[in-house]
Amino acid sequence: MNRLHINPKYCKGCLICVDVCPKKALKPAEKINAKGYILPEEDDMSRCTGCGLCEVMCPDFAIAIETEDQQER
Amino acid sequence: MKKHPMLKYMKETGPQGDRMPMIMCPGCGSGQVLNAILHAVDRLIQEDGARKENFVFITGVGCSARLTSHYLNFDSGWTIHGRTLAIATGALLANPELRIIVITGDGDTGAIGGNHFIHVCRRNLDLTIVCINNGLYGMTGGQVAPTTETGISTTTTPYGNTEESFDLCRLAEAAGAPFVARWTTAHPHQTIRTLTKGIRKKGTAFIEILSQCPVHKKQSPVQMLKALKQGTARVKPGEPPVEGKIPIGEFCNLDKPEWIQSYQKVLDQFSNHRTPVEV
Repeated sequence: MNRLHINPKYCKGCLICVDVCPKKALKPAEKINAKGYILPEEDDMSRCTGCGLCEVMCPDFAIAIETEDQQER
Repeated sequence: MKKHPMLKYMKETGPQGDRMPMIMCPGCGSGQVLNAILHAVDRLIQEDGARKENFVFITGVGCSARLTSHYLNFDSGWTIHGRTLAIATGALLANPELRIIVITGDGDTGAIGGNHFIHVCRRNLDLTIVCINNGLYGMTGGQVAPTTETGISTTTTPYGNTEESFDLCRLAEAAGAPFVARWTTAHPHQTIRTLTKGIRKKGTAFIEILSQCPVHKKQSPVQMLKALKQGTARVKPGEPPVEGKIPIGEFCNLDKPEWIQSYQKVLDQFSNHRTPVEV
């Protein structure tokens, strides 16, 4: 299963990644963080295909997807 | 923890401490444009074997100007307002090997730097001009810009803009730029493909990217991205634009002599017949 990495220092909670994910593998978190932002979190990562659209669309360089191939290395 | 793949081209810390997170407002399109540019540069480095030292990023003043020298691990210049292209011209003439990417905003290109912009397009210098168009002056408080569409309300036009807006792509095309394209931040993969083409192109490549300003237009970034997607329609060269929608796509890709090559021909003509100067 692909792994989701969100850098809580860089993310400003615009939630573009949640919207653009074609498989809806992400969801907004229920709690706000220390800076007052609602960060994205994983909903069901088994749906993630590793297309990388969230990485390409992220304005703050805060999200990364670790695909299964990368985990093996 | 795995990091974002494009952070390898960025400076996360500096002598004054951490540079990240970026200074942009949450959901700003400028970060997305930088992300797309870095993807395109990464593609050029991986596929063409382009040298990292040859890339130079130049910006002026505005929201878009904060993107390069603060965060990028490339040579970059943070220069004067509107004169971005003049300084890029100087850098290119000093070293024609450089691949110069100019990141400007709509105020930088269309308003104060309009004259420089027209003449760079006319001369056909080997520059890639990326214009982040959010349709207002974001950094100074959301005032009306030449690119604000008719009817849009800003802080200085609270009852809607009554002026006609500037179409920078048509301006660039008319001024003689051989490669002109427009995309939005809602089309990331198309933008990356066009940026790669534009940087490879020998000649002026003007790429306008329509972007969102969620703070001054008072909408959520997701809403604005959807509006950008719905309000635009792809147009191929020679096709008429769809009515009521902003045309996007690659508008022209012409083969024109690049200025430095033409000038080099003149220099070569005389370099063989040079007579020593007597003192």
